Amino acid sequence: MYGVVPFAALCDGRSVPDSSSDAPGGRRRDPPGSSQAPLWRSIAVYRFAALAYVAVLAVRNLNDYAHPVAGAVLLLAMTGWTVCSAYAYADPTWRRWPLLLADLAVVLAVVLAAPRVVGRDVLNDGVPPPSVAWLAGPVLAWAVSGGRRRGVVAALVIGGTDLVARERFVQGSLTGAALMLLAGIAVGHVVRLAVVAEERLQQAVELEAATRERERLARGIHDSVLQVLALVQRRGAHLDGEAGELARLAGEQEAALRSLIASRAPTGLDRQEVDLRSLLGRYASATVSIAAPATAVPLPAGVAGELAAAVGAALDNVARHGGGRGWVLVEDDPAAVTVSVRDDGPGFPPGRLAEAAGQGRLGVAQSIEGRIADLGGTVRISSAPGEGTEVELRVPRGRTVPEQRADR
Amino acid sequence: MTDEGVPAVRVMVVDDHPMWREGVARDLTEAGYHVVATTGEGRQAVRVAPATRPDVVVLDLQLPDVSGVEVLRALLAELPGVRVLMLSASGEQQDVLDAVKAGATGYLLKSAGPAEFLDAVGRTAAGDAVFTPGLAGLVLGEYRRIAAAPAPAGDDLPRLTERETEVLRLVAKGMSYKQIAGRLGLSHRTVQNHVQNTLGKLQLHNRVELTRYAIEQGLDD
Repeated sequence: MYGVVPFAALCDGRSVPDSSSDAPGGRRRDPPGSSQAPLWRSIAVYRFAALAYVAVLAVRNLNDYAHPVAGAVLLLAMTGWTVCSAYAYADPTWRRWPLLLADLAVVLAVVLAAPRVVGRDVLNDGVPPPSVAWLAGPVLAWAVSGGRRRGVVAALVIGGTDLVARERFVQGSLTGAALMLLAGIAVGHVVRLAVVAEERLQQAVELEAATRERERLARGIHDSVLQVLALVQRRGAHLDGEAGELARLAGEQEAALRSLIASRAPTGLDRQEVDLRSLLGRYASATVSIAAPATAVPLPAGVAGELAAAVGAALDNVARHGGGRGWVLVEDDPAAVTVSVRDDGPGFPPGRLAEAAGQGRLGVAQSIEGRIADLGGTVRISSAPGEGTEVELRVPRGRTVPEQRADR
Repeated sequence: MTDEGVPAVRVMVVDDHPMWREGVARDLTEAGYHVVATTGEGRQAVRVAPATRPDVVVLDLQLPDVSGVEVLRALLAELPGVRVLMLSASGEQQDVLDAVKAGATGYLLKSAGPAEFLDAVGRTAAGDAVFTPGLAGLVLGEYRRIAAAPAPAGDDLPRLTERETEVLRLVAKGMSYKQIAGRLGLSHRTVQNHVQNTLGKLQLHNRVELTRYAIEQGLDD
């Protein structure tokens, strides 16, 4: 194993295997379930298999070589690097540029040395160099570490060097380079797919865990805290002064907590359809009632978000200028979704709206109208003295223009 | 609310939260109702109903042993004509809708104040539909769902008249019957009847559906 020595130096003394290894400062391992570990293991298997093939070829042709002893040393060196790289790549923290470049450099050295060891005349007679399939190791390693592009770069460098080193065009050499290129592209592509799949799975697992935990908390809160808060509000509602105030506060907190545990966690996928009811649910409180169908009101996420924001703006207006109480009604028709927001404030005579608009005092109404117009919808504001004010937002179904715009 | 001298309305309270249950019972007794039973379990409620003969049952939709809707169906089977006021927190919309379709007289949010609650029990005892704005939204949505769903041929689907739709929308937007009557130029009683009709048609349709289902499944013997 003397041939290993120069390569062991490259490996920073890590050529000695240490399999008892999760100790502090010891080897690190891939997290369980990672798609990376099996890929790196299969590269190591490939290297050993390729080495065995190379060894068989070399032993058969050793007597034809110009320098048989140098050939044996080269073979030992390749064996050393195969063992060394297998251990180095097994550690996730080592899969970086220094190791990748060292890997490439070692293989290039073998490619450059091969014609001299075998002898150019012998090579041209058709005797294979003692490297062949083994050369593809770094191509696979680069492809797994960084995708298609890195795989292609490594394949071009090694294939090009091989062609140059032979100084004469050989069909087999070109075929080898082309195969390496294809392997680099294919492996890089598969790795990219694996990484994406793993990320998706991870997201799904996290979402499911969060949802489950949320449901568990919701059940607990519903059975205990909410009952007590509702009771406090109930018992104290007819009392005056501080006790009545406490009861009112308890009622508000009950409604707030209820809507908090009822709302669904966002899925984070913008193209998906979401249930408008779940977005509006967060506005429900002791003073705001939400009336909606029992079944979902699906809208594209972008449309639902804008519509919910417009409802929020209308409710802000209710809190400021209305009587403080608000009612929201969601109606789902095949042609359109209509959301009405009504308050029990003093209201205003019909002419006042135009007057207010003329004086520029309709900021909120205009921001609502802007949002809804972007969705291709309409806003109708109606009011009469003593009957409160009603804002009706109507958004047609089947328009996804704003969402597509947001995607770009 | 009952007036003095009128025979007390018999009420049963079914709710799994003891503090809540006792509080409601006390309010009802103070208001002149005769609370004949309180229980936290649906099965027990159904068991004691024939013996205690309540006129009105105040029923929480969320019970630990059986669903409130099942308790409601069993109670109506045991005591035809009993009036049931469903109580629930918001957020269980499908349950609320199922309950009124199955024959509940009214529905009230649990966060309603004592005055609103006693008023609702009084109206339930009189056989009037007790609607929250939320329930009106659910009923509107249900009629639209029925209209949009593919219907069996020759079926007589329940439909809202224009006036009923108008009234329900105003209820859903939080207007009182009095305000609605004022805006539409109707009497208070007419508004009440319109609301009642929307529920009646839905309950009838529900019964027809159940019967059809039973016939289809060969369970009608």
